[in-house]
Amino acid sequence: MSAVSDPEILANSAPTARSRLADLSLSQLVIWGLILFLCLSPFALIIAVSFGEKIEGASWEWGFSLVNYQRVFVGANWPEEVTFLYLQNLYYSLYYAVFAAVIAVLLAFPFTYLMTGLSRRAQSAWLVFILSSLSLSEVFIVMGWDVLLSNRSGLPMVFKETGLTAWLKEVGWFDTLREWGLANPRNVKFKTSVFATVLTMSYLVWPYAVILLYPPLSRMDRSMIEAAQTMGAGPWTVMRTVILPSVRLPLFGATLLLFVFLLGVYVAVSVFAEPAKQTMAVSVYSAVRGATLNAPFGAAQAVILLITASVFLVLGQWMSRRASA
Amino acid sequence: MILRTLSNLFLALSAVMLALPILVVCGAALNSGRSMFFPPKEPTLARFKEFFFTETVWVTALGNSVIVAFCSAALAVLVAWPLAYGLWKQGGKAAQVLAGLGSMPFALPPIVFGVGLGFLWSFIGTLGTLWIGIISHAALFMALPLVTISIGLQSIDRSHLDAAATMGATGSVVFRTVILPQTMPYTVSGFFFALVLSFNEFIVMFFVSASSYSTVTLQIFNSLRNGYTPTMAVAAITFIVISVAVFSAVARWGDLPRLMGAEPAKS
Repeated sequence: MSAVSDPEILANSAPTARSRLADLSLSQLVIWGLILFLCLSPFALIIAVSFGEKIEGASWEWGFSLVNYQRVFVGANWPEEVTFLYLQNLYYSLYYAVFAAVIAVLLAFPFTYLMTGLSRRAQSAWLVFILSSLSLSEVFIVMGWDVLLSNRSGLPMVFKETGLTAWLKEVGWFDTLREWGLANPRNVKFKTSVFATVLTMSYLVWPYAVILLYPPLSRMDRSMIEAAQTMGAGPWTVMRTVILPSVRLPLFGATLLLFVFLLGVYVAVSVFAEPAKQTMAVSVYSAVRGATLNAPFGAAQAVILLITASVFLVLGQWMSRRASA
Repeated sequence: MILRTLSNLFLALSAVMLALPILVVCGAALNSGRSMFFPPKEPTLARFKEFFFTETVWVTALGNSVIVAFCSAALAVLVAWPLAYGLWKQGGKAAQVLAGLGSMPFALPPIVFGVGLGFLWSFIGTLGTLWIGIISHAALFMALPLVTISIGLQSIDRSHLDAAATMGATGSVVFRTVILPQTMPYTVSGFFFALVLSFNEFIVMFFVSASSYSTVTLQIFNSLRNGYTPTMAVAAITFIVISVAVFSAVARWGDLPRLMGAEPAKS
Protein backbone atom coordinates (compact mmCIF):
# COMPACT_ATOMS: atom_id res chain seq x y z
CA MET A 1 0.00 0.00 0.00
CA SER A 2 2.76 2.44 0.88
CA ALA A 3 4.55 1.69 -2.40
CA VAL A 4 1.51 2.67 -4.40
CA SER A 5 0.93 5.89 -2.59
CA ASP A 6 4.47 7.02 -3.44
CA PRO A 7 4.03 8.91 -6.75
CA GLU A 8 7.72 8.84 -7.68
CA ILE A 9 7.88 5.06 -7.74
CA LEU A 10 4.69 4.88 -9.74
CA ALA A 11 5.98 7.35 -12.32
CA ASN A 12 9.32 5.62 -12.76
CA SER A 13 8.13 2.05 -12.98
CA ALA A 14 7.52 0.24 -16.22
CA PRO A 15 3.91 -0.01 -17.42
CA THR A 16 3.64 -3.71 -16.58
CA ALA A 17 4.99 -3.19 -13.09
CA ARG A 18 2.64 -0.26 -12.67
CA SER A 19 -0.42 -2.31 -13.59
CA ARG A 20 0.72 -5.05 -11.25
CA LEU A 21 1.05 -2.56 -8.43
CA ALA A 22 -2.43 -1.27 -9.21
CA ASP A 23 -3.68 -4.88 -9.11
CA LEU A 24 -2.05 -5.37 -5.76
CA SER A 25 -3.62 -2.27 -4.33
CA LEU A 26 -7.01 -3.25 -5.72
CA SER A 27 -6.82 -6.73 -4.23
CA GLN A 28 -5.65 -5.22 -0.95
CA LEU A 29 -8.57 -2.82 -0.99
CA VAL A 30 -10.96 -5.69 -1.63
CA ILE A 31 -9.58 -7.73 1.25
CA TRP A 32 -9.63 -4.77 3.63
CA GLY A 33 -13.19 -3.97 2.61
CA LEU A 34 -14.24 -7.58 3.07
CA ILE A 35 -12.67 -7.94 6.50
CA LEU A 36 -14.00 -4.62 7.75
CA PHE A 37 -17.46 -5.50 6.48
CA LEU A 38 -17.58 -9.05 7.86
CA CYS A 39 -15.58 -8.78 11.06
CA LEU A 40 -15.93 -5.19 12.24
CA SER A 41 -19.29 -3.86 11.01
CA PRO A 42 -21.41 -6.33 13.05
CA PHE A 43 -19.79 -5.06 16.25
CA ALA A 44 -20.11 -1.43 15.12
CA LEU A 45 -23.80 -2.00 14.38
CA ILE A 46 -24.44 -3.39 17.85
CA ILE A 47 -22.96 -0.24 19.34
CA ALA A 48 -25.08 1.94 17.04
CA VAL A 49 -28.29 0.02 17.75
CA SER A 50 -27.71 0.12 21.50
CA PHE A 51 -28.48 3.87 21.46
CA GLY A 52 -31.78 3.30 19.66
CA GLU A 53 -35.26 3.21 21.16
CA LYS A 54 -37.93 0.54 21.23
CA ILE A 55 -41.31 1.44 19.74
CA GLU A 56 -44.12 -0.08 21.78
CA GLY A 57 -45.80 -2.96 19.96
CA ALA A 58 -43.51 -2.67 16.95
CA SER A 59 -39.77 -2.97 16.45
CA TRP A 60 -37.37 -0.12 17.21
CA GLU A 61 -35.92 3.04 15.68
CA TRP A 62 -32.55 4.77 15.53
CA GLY A 63 -31.87 7.34 18.17
CA PHE A 64 -29.37 8.64 20.59
CA SER A 65 -30.55 7.91 24.06
CA LEU A 66 -28.78 6.36 26.99
CA VAL A 67 -31.98 4.86 28.32
CA ASN A 68 -30.89 1.29 27.53
CA TYR A 69 -27.63 1.68 29.40
CA GLN A 70 -29.44 3.33 32.25
CA ARG A 71 -31.74 0.32 32.43
CA VAL A 72 -28.79 -2.06 32.54
CA PHE A 73 -27.06 -0.21 35.35
CA VAL A 74 -29.82 1.12 37.59
CA GLY A 75 -33.12 -0.17 36.17
CA ALA A 76 -35.86 1.32 33.96
CA ASN A 77 -37.57 3.38 36.69
CA TRP A 78 -34.54 5.23 37.89
CA PRO A 79 -34.37 7.54 39.86
CA GLU A 80 -37.64 6.62 41.64
CA GLU A 81 -36.57 3.02 41.98
CA VAL A 82 -33.19 1.34 41.63
CA THR A 83 -32.75 -2.29 40.59
CA PHE A 84 -29.52 -4.07 39.81
CA LEU A 85 -31.18 -6.98 38.05
CA TYR A 86 -29.03 -6.77 34.93
CA LEU A 87 -25.83 -5.98 36.74
CA GLN A 88 -26.56 -9.09 38.75
CA ASN A 89 -26.66 -11.05 35.48
CA LEU A 90 -23.25 -9.65 34.62
CA TYR A 91 -22.04 -10.64 38.08
CA TYR A 92 -23.15 -14.23 37.51
CA SER A 93 -21.51 -14.24 34.06
CA LEU A 94 -18.21 -13.37 35.74
CA TYR A 95 -18.82 -15.65 38.72
CA TYR A 96 -19.44 -18.85 36.72
CA ALA A 97 -16.70 -18.01 34.22
CA VAL A 98 -14.03 -17.42 36.87
CA PHE A 99 -14.71 -20.64 38.75
CA ALA A 100 -15.08 -22.81 35.66
CA ALA A 101 -11.94 -21.38 34.03
CA VAL A 102 -9.80 -21.82 37.14
CA ILE A 103 -11.01 -25.38 37.76
CA ALA A 104 -10.45 -26.33 34.11
CA VAL A 105 -6.89 -24.98 34.11
CA LEU A 106 -6.05 -26.58 37.48
CA LEU A 107 -7.11 -29.99 36.15
CA ALA A 108 -5.69 -29.50 32.66
CA PHE A 109 -2.23 -28.46 33.81
CA PRO A 110 -1.09 -31.76 35.40
CA PHE A 111 -2.80 -33.66 32.59
CA THR A 112 -1.01 -31.72 29.85
CA TYR A 113 2.29 -31.99 31.67
CA LEU A 114 1.99 -35.78 31.85
CA MET A 115 0.69 -36.00 28.29
CA THR A 116 3.62 -34.10 26.81
CA GLY A 117 5.94 -36.62 28.43
CA LEU A 118 4.48 -39.42 26.32
CA SER A 119 5.69 -40.53 22.89
CA ARG A 120 4.79 -38.47 19.82
CA ARG A 121 2.39 -41.19 18.67
CA ALA A 122 0.57 -41.34 21.98
CA GLN A 123 0.37 -37.53 22.00
CA SER A 124 -1.27 -37.62 18.58
CA ALA A 125 -3.88 -40.10 19.80
CA TRP A 126 -4.65 -37.99 22.87
CA LEU A 127 -4.90 -34.86 20.71
CA VAL A 128 -7.45 -36.53 18.42
CA PHE A 129 -9.53 -37.45 21.47
CA ILE A 130 -9.25 -33.98 22.98
CA LEU A 131 -9.92 -32.10 19.75
CA SER A 132 -13.00 -34.24 19.10
CA SER A 133 -14.34 -33.43 22.54
CA LEU A 134 -13.41 -29.76 22.11
CA SER A 135 -15.26 -29.36 18.85
CA LEU A 136 -18.33 -31.15 20.14
CA SER A 137 -21.24 -28.74 20.23
CA GLU A 138 -22.32 -27.27 23.54
CA VAL A 139 -25.81 -28.71 22.98
CA PHE A 140 -24.44 -32.27 22.98
CA ILE A 141 -22.28 -31.76 26.06
CA VAL A 142 -25.18 -30.25 27.95
CA MET A 143 -27.28 -33.19 26.75
CA GLY A 144 -24.82 -35.66 28.26
CA TRP A 145 -24.59 -33.88 31.60
CA ASP A 146 -28.34 -33.36 31.61
CA VAL A 147 -28.86 -37.13 31.49
CA LEU A 148 -26.10 -37.69 34.05
CA LEU A 149 -27.43 -35.14 36.53
CA SER A 150 -31.19 -35.48 36.02
CA ASN A 151 -33.22 -36.78 38.94
CA ARG A 152 -34.79 -39.73 37.13
CA SER A 153 -31.57 -41.30 35.87
CA GLY A 154 -27.85 -40.76 36.13
CA LEU A 155 -25.95 -39.84 39.26
CA PRO A 156 -28.89 -39.30 41.68
CA MET A 157 -30.08 -42.81 40.76
CA VAL A 158 -26.58 -44.17 41.35
CA PHE A 159 -26.51 -42.45 44.73
CA LYS A 160 -29.80 -44.02 45.69
CA GLU A 161 -29.16 -47.53 44.33
CA THR A 162 -25.73 -47.88 45.89
CA GLY A 163 -27.04 -46.74 49.25
CA LEU A 164 -24.89 -43.64 49.19
CA THR A 165 -27.94 -41.48 49.87
CA ALA A 166 -28.87 -43.57 52.91
CA TRP A 167 -25.29 -43.35 54.15
CA LEU A 168 -25.23 -39.57 53.67
CA LYS A 169 -28.44 -39.32 55.69
CA GLU A 170 -26.95 -41.49 58.43
CA VAL A 171 -23.81 -39.39 58.90
CA GLY A 172 -25.83 -36.18 58.68
CA TRP A 173 -24.14 -34.72 55.61
CA PHE A 174 -27.42 -34.91 53.76
CA ASP A 175 -28.71 -31.89 55.64
CA THR A 176 -25.63 -29.93 54.62
CA LEU A 177 -26.30 -30.85 51.00
CA ARG A 178 -29.89 -29.67 51.41
CA GLU A 179 -28.65 -26.36 52.75
CA TRP A 180 -26.49 -25.99 49.67
CA GLY A 181 -29.50 -26.76 47.46
CA LEU A 182 -28.02 -30.04 46.26
CA ALA A 183 -30.72 -32.30 47.69
CA ASN A 184 -34.49 -32.55 47.98
CA PRO A 185 -36.10 -34.38 50.94
CA ARG A 186 -35.81 -37.79 49.25
CA ASN A 187 -32.51 -37.83 47.38
CA VAL A 188 -29.63 -35.71 46.14
CA LYS A 189 -30.41 -33.41 43.21
CA PHE A 190 -27.98 -31.51 40.99
CA LYS A 191 -30.37 -29.68 38.69
CA THR A 192 -30.61 -26.72 38.89
CA SER A 193 -27.60 -25.56 40.84
CA VAL A 194 -24.42 -23.53 40.70
CA PHE A 195 -22.56 -26.83 41.05
CA ALA A 196 -24.06 -28.29 37.84
CA THR A 197 -23.46 -25.04 35.94
CA VAL A 198 -19.83 -24.71 36.93
CA LEU A 199 -19.20 -28.44 36.41
CA THR A 200 -20.56 -28.38 32.86
CA MET A 201 -18.81 -25.14 32.01
CA SER A 202 -15.44 -26.38 33.21
CA TYR A 203 -15.96 -29.63 31.31
CA LEU A 204 -16.73 -27.49 28.26
CA VAL A 205 -13.40 -25.64 28.38
CA TRP A 206 -11.13 -28.35 29.79
CA PRO A 207 -10.04 -29.51 26.29
CA TYR A 208 -9.37 -25.87 25.35
CA ALA A 209 -7.19 -25.55 28.43
CA VAL A 210 -5.17 -28.60 27.35
CA ILE A 211 -4.75 -27.21 23.82
CA LEU A 212 -3.65 -23.82 25.19
CA LEU A 213 -1.16 -25.31 27.65
CA TYR A 214 0.18 -27.83 25.15
CA PRO A 215 2.65 -25.53 23.30
CA PRO A 216 4.48 -24.11 26.36
CA LEU A 217 4.60 -27.47 28.13
CA SER A 218 5.74 -29.48 25.11
CA ARG A 219 8.45 -26.92 24.34
CA MET A 220 9.67 -26.84 27.92
CA ASP A 221 13.27 -27.87 28.31
CA ARG A 222 13.13 -31.28 29.98
CA SER A 223 16.88 -31.32 30.62
CA MET A 224 16.36 -28.70 33.32
CA ILE A 225 14.01 -31.06 35.13
CA GLU A 226 16.45 -33.94 34.78
CA ALA A 227 19.25 -31.73 36.08
CA ALA A 228 17.19 -30.81 39.11
CA GLN A 229 16.35 -34.45 39.69
CA THR A 230 19.96 -35.60 39.53
CA MET A 231 20.81 -32.94 42.05
CA GLY A 232 18.39 -34.64 44.38
CA ALA A 233 15.26 -32.52 44.10
CA GLY A 234 12.04 -34.37 44.84
CA PRO A 235 9.07 -34.23 42.43
CA TRP A 236 7.33 -31.48 44.39
CA THR A 237 10.46 -29.36 44.57
CA VAL A 238 10.93 -29.77 40.81
CA MET A 239 7.34 -28.73 40.24
CA ARG A 240 7.65 -25.69 42.50
CA THR A 241 11.07 -24.42 41.50
CA VAL A 242 11.49 -25.46 37.84
CA ILE A 243 8.18 -26.19 36.10
CA LEU A 244 5.76 -23.72 37.65
CA PRO A 245 7.96 -20.61 37.26
CA SER A 246 8.50 -21.34 33.57
CA VAL A 247 4.78 -21.76 32.79
CA ARG A 248 3.34 -19.21 35.19
CA LEU A 249 2.36 -16.77 32.45
CA PRO A 250 0.91 -19.33 30.01
CA LEU A 251 -1.18 -20.67 32.88
CA PHE A 252 -2.53 -17.23 33.63
CA GLY A 253 -3.04 -16.45 29.94
CA ALA A 254 -4.98 -19.69 29.40
CA THR A 255 -7.23 -18.96 32.38
CA LEU A 256 -7.94 -15.51 30.97
CA LEU A 257 -8.83 -16.80 27.49
CA LEU A 258 -11.11 -19.52 28.87
CA PHE A 259 -12.73 -16.95 31.10
CA VAL A 260 -13.54 -14.74 28.09
CA PHE A 261 -14.82 -17.75 26.19
CA LEU A 262 -17.10 -18.72 29.08
CA LEU A 263 -18.69 -15.26 29.24
CA GLY A 264 -20.62 -16.18 26.09
CA VAL A 265 -21.88 -19.61 27.17
CA TYR A 266 -25.61 -19.84 26.71
CA VAL A 267 -27.02 -23.37 26.73
CA ALA A 268 -25.24 -24.67 29.83
CA VAL A 269 -26.40 -21.68 31.86
CA SER A 270 -29.99 -21.71 30.61
CA VAL A 271 -30.32 -25.44 31.38
CA PHE A 272 -28.37 -25.78 34.63
CA ALA A 273 -28.49 -22.40 36.39
CA GLU A 274 -31.32 -21.42 38.71
CA PRO A 275 -33.77 -18.91 37.21
CA ALA A 276 -32.59 -16.16 39.56
CA LYS A 277 -28.95 -16.78 38.66
CA GLN A 278 -28.90 -16.42 34.89
CA THR A 279 -26.12 -14.62 33.03
CA MET A 280 -25.88 -11.66 30.69
CA ALA A 281 -25.58 -13.90 27.61
CA VAL A 282 -29.00 -15.32 28.49
CA SER A 283 -30.56 -11.89 28.95
CA VAL A 284 -29.05 -10.67 25.65
CA TYR A 285 -30.69 -13.63 23.97
CA SER A 286 -34.08 -13.07 25.55
CA ALA A 287 -34.02 -9.35 24.74
CA VAL A 288 -33.11 -9.81 21.08
CA ARG A 289 -35.00 -12.93 20.10
CA GLY A 290 -36.70 -14.30 23.19
CA ALA A 291 -39.71 -13.22 25.19
CA THR A 292 -39.13 -9.51 25.65
CA LEU A 293 -38.14 -8.48 22.09
CA ASN A 294 -36.30 -5.25 22.73
CA ALA A 295 -33.39 -5.19 20.30
CA PRO A 296 -31.75 -1.91 21.44
CA PHE A 297 -31.80 -3.08 25.06
CA GLY A 298 -30.30 -6.43 24.03
CA ALA A 299 -27.67 -4.56 22.03
CA ALA A 300 -26.77 -2.42 25.06
CA GLN A 301 -26.21 -5.55 27.13
CA ALA A 302 -24.21 -7.09 24.28
CA VAL A 303 -22.01 -3.97 24.24
CA ILE A 304 -21.33 -4.34 27.95
CA LEU A 305 -20.49 -8.02 27.45
CA LEU A 306 -18.27 -7.02 24.52
CA ILE A 307 -16.43 -4.41 26.58
CA THR A 308 -15.94 -6.85 29.45
CA ALA A 309 -14.55 -9.49 27.10
CA SER A 310 -12.30 -6.99 25.28
CA VAL A 311 -10.83 -5.64 28.50
CA PHE A 312 -9.73 -9.11 29.56
CA LEU A 313 -8.46 -9.99 26.06
CA VAL A 314 -6.37 -6.81 25.89
CA LEU A 315 -5.07 -7.52 29.38
CA GLY A 316 -4.07 -11.02 28.27
CA GLN A 317 -2.36 -9.67 25.12
CA TRP A 318 -0.43 -7.15 27.14
CA MET A 319 0.71 -9.81 29.59
CA SER A 320 1.79 -12.24 26.91
CA ARG A 321 3.77 -9.46 25.22
CA ARG A 322 5.46 -8.69 28.51
CA ALA A 323 6.15 -12.38 28.95
CA SER A 324 7.89 -12.71 25.59
CA ALA A 325 9.83 -9.47 26.00
CA MET B 1 7.34 -46.11 40.72
CA ILE B 2 4.42 -44.92 42.84
CA LEU B 3 4.58 -41.59 41.03
CA ARG B 4 4.43 -43.38 37.68
CA THR B 5 1.33 -45.30 38.74
CA LEU B 6 -0.30 -42.14 40.06
CA SER B 7 0.42 -40.35 36.78
CA ASN B 8 -1.14 -43.10 34.72
CA LEU B 9 -4.09 -43.19 37.06
CA PHE B 10 -4.60 -39.47 36.62
CA LEU B 11 -4.42 -39.73 32.83
CA ALA B 12 -6.90 -42.61 32.86
CA LEU B 13 -9.24 -40.76 35.19
CA SER B 14 -9.16 -37.70 32.93
CA ALA B 15 -10.03 -39.88 29.94
CA VAL B 16 -12.95 -41.47 31.80
CA MET B 17 -14.23 -38.07 32.90
CA LEU B 18 -13.93 -36.71 29.38
CA ALA B 19 -15.71 -39.70 27.87
CA LEU B 20 -18.43 -40.05 30.50
CA PRO B 21 -21.12 -37.66 29.15
CA ILE B 22 -20.34 -38.75 25.58
CA LEU B 23 -20.84 -42.42 26.46
CA VAL B 24 -24.06 -41.62 28.28
CA VAL B 25 -25.40 -39.81 25.21
CA CYS B 26 -24.45 -42.75 23.00
CA GLY B 27 -26.29 -45.13 25.34
CA ALA B 28 -29.34 -42.90 25.52
CA ALA B 29 -29.69 -43.04 21.72
CA LEU B 30 -30.84 -46.65 22.06
CA ASN B 31 -33.98 -45.74 24.04
CA SER B 32 -37.19 -46.87 22.40
CA GLY B 33 -39.36 -44.28 24.11
CA ARG B 34 -39.38 -40.51 23.70
CA SER B 35 -37.38 -39.77 26.83
CA MET B 36 -33.70 -40.02 27.56
CA PHE B 37 -32.88 -42.74 30.06
CA PHE B 38 -29.57 -44.14 31.02
CA PRO B 39 -29.23 -47.08 30.97
CA PRO B 40 -31.61 -47.18 27.95
CA LYS B 41 -35.01 -48.84 28.24
CA GLU B 42 -35.83 -51.52 25.63
CA PRO B 43 -32.80 -50.82 23.42
CA THR B 44 -33.55 -50.33 19.72
CA LEU B 45 -31.85 -48.87 16.66
CA ALA B 46 -35.08 -47.26 15.38
CA ARG B 47 -33.84 -43.76 16.29
CA PHE B 48 -30.97 -44.10 13.80
CA LYS B 49 -33.40 -44.86 11.00
CA GLU B 50 -35.48 -41.83 12.00
CA PHE B 51 -32.53 -39.47 12.06
CA PHE B 52 -30.98 -40.49 8.73
CA PHE B 53 -33.98 -41.48 6.63
CA THR B 54 -37.54 -41.09 7.78
CA GLU B 55 -37.91 -37.83 9.70
CA THR B 56 -37.75 -34.99 7.19
CA VAL B 57 -36.87 -32.38 9.82
CA TRP B 58 -33.63 -34.15 10.67
CA VAL B 59 -32.75 -35.18 7.12
CA THR B 60 -33.12 -31.59 5.89
CA ALA B 61 -31.20 -30.25 8.88
CA LEU B 62 -28.36 -32.67 8.27
CA GLY B 63 -28.23 -31.63 4.61
CA ASN B 64 -28.05 -27.96 5.63
CA SER B 65 -25.33 -28.70 8.17
CA VAL B 66 -23.20 -30.41 5.53
CA ILE B 67 -23.68 -27.62 2.96
CA VAL B 68 -22.94 -24.84 5.45
CA ALA B 69 -19.91 -26.62 6.93
CA PHE B 70 -18.23 -27.41 3.60
CA CYS B 71 -18.94 -24.09 1.89
CA SER B 72 -18.09 -21.92 4.90
CA ALA B 73 -14.86 -23.81 5.57
CA ALA B 74 -13.82 -23.42 1.91
CA LEU B 75 -14.68 -19.72 2.01
CA ALA B 76 -12.82 -19.26 5.29
CA VAL B 77 -9.69 -20.81 3.76
CA LEU B 78 -9.99 -18.61 0.65
CA VAL B 79 -10.20 -15.43 2.73
CA ALA B 80 -7.60 -16.53 5.28
CA TRP B 81 -4.96 -17.33 2.64
CA PRO B 82 -4.26 -13.74 1.50
CA LEU B 83 -4.31 -12.57 5.13
CA ALA B 84 -1.79 -15.18 6.22
CA TYR B 85 0.30 -14.65 3.08
CA GLY B 86 0.37 -10.89 3.56
CA LEU B 87 1.38 -11.35 7.17
CA TRP B 88 4.22 -13.68 6.20
CA LYS B 89 5.42 -11.93 3.03
CA GLN B 90 5.20 -8.26 3.93
CA GLY B 91 4.59 -8.25 7.66
CA GLY B 92 4.20 -4.79 9.11
CA LYS B 93 1.52 -3.09 11.12
CA ALA B 94 -1.20 -3.13 8.44
CA ALA B 95 -1.02 -6.87 7.91
CA GLN B 96 -1.07 -7.46 11.66
CA VAL B 97 -4.14 -5.27 12.12
CA LEU B 98 -5.86 -7.07 9.25
CA ALA B 99 -5.13 -10.50 10.74
CA GLY B 100 -6.25 -9.25 14.16
CA LEU B 101 -9.55 -8.05 12.73
CA GLY B 102 -10.00 -11.38 10.99
CA SER B 103 -9.61 -13.27 14.27
CA MET B 104 -11.85 -10.96 16.26
CA PRO B 105 -15.17 -12.77 15.68
CA PHE B 106 -13.65 -16.01 16.96
CA ALA B 107 -12.12 -14.44 20.05
CA LEU B 108 -15.19 -12.56 21.29
CA PRO B 109 -18.38 -14.13 22.69
CA PRO B 110 -20.26 -15.72 19.75
CA ILE B 111 -23.61 -14.45 21.00
CA VAL B 112 -22.41 -10.86 20.52
CA PHE B 113 -21.15 -11.55 16.99
CA GLY B 114 -24.40 -13.38 16.23
CA VAL B 115 -26.56 -10.47 17.35
CA GLY B 116 -24.40 -8.07 15.29
CA LEU B 117 -24.63 -10.21 12.17
CA GLY B 118 -28.38 -10.45 12.69
CA PHE B 119 -28.61 -6.64 12.57
CA LEU B 120 -26.26 -6.44 9.59
CA TRP B 121 -28.11 -8.94 7.41
CA SER B 122 -31.53 -7.60 8.30
CA PHE B 123 -30.44 -4.11 7.16
CA ILE B 124 -29.22 -5.48 3.87
CA GLY B 125 -32.37 -7.56 3.66
CA THR B 126 -30.74 -10.94 3.21
CA LEU B 127 -31.49 -12.40 6.62
CA GLY B 128 -32.53 -16.03 6.60
CA THR B 129 -30.95 -17.31 3.40
CA LEU B 130 -28.61 -20.27 3.46
CA TRP B 131 -25.70 -18.49 1.76
CA ILE B 132 -25.81 -15.80 4.45
CA GLY B 133 -25.36 -18.58 6.98
CA ILE B 134 -22.35 -19.78 4.99
CA ILE B 135 -20.76 -16.31 4.89
CA SER B 136 -21.43 -15.79 8.60
CA HIS B 137 -19.71 -19.03 9.56
CA ALA B 138 -16.80 -18.26 7.24
CA ALA B 139 -16.30 -14.94 9.05
CA LEU B 140 -16.58 -16.62 12.45
CA PHE B 141 -14.07 -19.41 11.76
CA MET B 142 -11.62 -17.59 9.48
CA ALA B 143 -9.25 -17.40 12.46
CA LEU B 144 -8.58 -21.16 12.35
CA PRO B 145 -7.18 -21.50 8.80
CA LEU B 146 -5.45 -18.16 9.39
CA VAL B 147 -3.50 -19.73 12.26
CA THR B 148 -2.75 -23.07 10.59
CA ILE B 149 -1.68 -21.47 7.28
CA SER B 150 0.55 -19.05 9.17
CA ILE B 151 2.23 -21.98 10.93
CA GLY B 152 2.65 -23.65 7.53
CA LEU B 153 4.20 -20.58 5.92
CA GLN B 154 6.62 -20.18 8.82
CA SER B 155 7.75 -23.77 8.44
CA ILE B 156 8.84 -23.26 4.80
CA ASP B 157 12.55 -23.71 4.45
CA ARG B 158 13.95 -20.32 3.35
CA SER B 159 16.75 -22.05 1.46
CA HIS B 160 14.18 -23.58 -0.92
CA LEU B 161 12.93 -20.09 -1.74
CA ASP B 162 16.49 -18.84 -2.30
CA ALA B 163 17.29 -21.84 -4.48
CA ALA B 164 14.21 -21.28 -6.60
CA ALA B 165 15.03 -17.59 -6.96
CA THR B 166 18.66 -18.32 -7.96
CA MET B 167 17.48 -20.70 -10.63
CA GLY B 168 15.41 -17.90 -12.08
CA ALA B 169 11.93 -18.85 -10.95
CA THR B 170 9.47 -15.96 -11.02
CA GLY B 171 7.27 -15.12 -8.06
CA SER B 172 4.29 -17.03 -9.34
CA VAL B 173 6.37 -20.11 -10.17
CA VAL B 174 7.87 -20.11 -6.66
CA PHE B 175 4.40 -19.78 -5.24
CA ARG B 176 3.10 -22.70 -7.29
CA THR B 177 6.06 -25.05 -6.90
CA VAL B 178 7.40 -24.29 -3.41
CA ILE B 179 5.00 -22.34 -1.23
CA LEU B 180 1.71 -23.98 -2.19
CA PRO B 181 2.79 -27.65 -1.93
CA GLN B 182 4.63 -27.11 1.36
CA THR B 183 1.69 -25.36 3.02
CA MET B 184 -0.95 -27.70 1.61
CA PRO B 185 -1.22 -29.95 4.72
CA TYR B 186 -1.66 -26.88 6.90
CA THR B 187 -4.29 -25.41 4.57
CA VAL B 188 -6.21 -28.68 4.61
CA SER B 189 -5.98 -28.86 8.41
CA GLY B 190 -7.32 -25.33 8.67
CA PHE B 191 -10.16 -26.29 6.36
CA PHE B 192 -11.05 -29.27 8.53
CA PHE B 193 -10.88 -27.33 11.79
CA ALA B 194 -13.28 -24.75 10.35
CA LEU B 195 -15.46 -27.54 8.95
CA VAL B 196 -15.87 -29.38 12.25
CA LEU B 197 -16.49 -26.23 14.27
CA SER B 198 -19.01 -24.92 11.76
CA PHE B 199 -20.77 -28.26 11.93
CA ASN B 200 -21.20 -27.89 15.69
CA GLU B 201 -21.94 -24.15 15.92
CA PHE B 202 -25.49 -22.95 16.56
CA ILE B 203 -25.64 -19.57 18.34
CA VAL B 204 -24.51 -17.43 15.38
CA MET B 205 -26.58 -19.64 13.08
CA PHE B 206 -29.61 -19.04 15.28
CA PHE B 207 -29.40 -15.27 14.80
CA VAL B 208 -28.66 -15.29 11.06
CA SER B 209 -31.08 -18.04 10.04
CA ALA B 210 -34.08 -16.16 11.49
CA SER B 211 -35.93 -19.48 11.85
CA SER B 212 -36.23 -19.92 8.07
CA TYR B 213 -33.99 -23.00 8.01
CA SER B 214 -32.02 -24.97 10.52
CA THR B 215 -28.93 -27.08 10.88
CA VAL B 216 -28.74 -30.15 13.14
CA THR B 217 -27.31 -28.39 16.19
CA LEU B 218 -29.66 -25.44 15.65
CA GLN B 219 -32.61 -27.81 15.44
CA ILE B 220 -31.61 -29.30 18.80
CA PHE B 221 -31.08 -25.83 20.26
CA ASN B 222 -34.54 -24.75 19.07
CA SER B 223 -36.24 -27.74 20.68
CA LEU B 224 -34.33 -27.39 23.98
CA ARG B 225 -37.43 -26.14 25.78
CA ASN B 226 -39.18 -29.45 25.12
CA GLY B 227 -36.27 -31.44 26.48
CA TYR B 228 -33.91 -33.86 24.82
CA THR B 229 -35.05 -36.88 22.82
CA PRO B 230 -33.13 -40.04 21.84
CA THR B 231 -33.14 -38.95 18.17
CA MET B 232 -30.99 -35.98 19.20
CA ALA B 233 -28.58 -38.41 20.81
CA VAL B 234 -28.22 -40.09 17.41
CA ALA B 235 -27.23 -36.68 16.04
CA ALA B 236 -24.64 -36.42 18.82
CA ILE B 237 -23.16 -39.81 17.91
CA THR B 238 -22.98 -38.83 14.24
CA PHE B 239 -21.15 -35.62 15.09
CA ILE B 240 -18.68 -37.35 17.41
CA VAL B 241 -17.88 -39.93 14.73
CA ILE B 242 -17.30 -37.17 12.16
CA SER B 243 -15.00 -35.24 14.53
CA VAL B 244 -12.94 -38.32 15.41
CA ALA B 245 -12.66 -39.27 11.73
CA VAL B 246 -11.59 -35.77 10.67
CA PHE B 247 -9.00 -35.29 13.41
CA SER B 248 -7.64 -38.81 12.94
CA ALA B 249 -7.17 -37.96 9.26
CA VAL B 250 -5.36 -34.76 10.20
CA ALA B 251 -3.16 -36.72 12.61
CA ARG B 252 -2.51 -39.42 10.02
CA TRP B 253 -1.53 -37.16 7.11
CA GLY B 254 -0.39 -34.07 8.95
CA ASP B 255 1.73 -33.38 12.00
CA LEU B 256 -0.92 -32.85 14.67
CA PRO B 257 1.46 -32.16 17.60
CA ARG B 258 3.26 -29.56 15.43
CA LEU B 259 -0.06 -27.96 14.43
CA MET B 260 -0.99 -27.72 18.09
CA GLY B 261 2.26 -25.91 18.83
CA ALA B 262 4.86 -28.55 19.71
CA GLU B 263 8.40 -28.29 18.37
CA PRO B 264 8.89 -29.82 14.90
CA ALA B 265 9.42 -33.59 15.18
CA LYS B 266 13.04 -34.70 15.27
CA SER B 267 13.37 -37.10 12.38
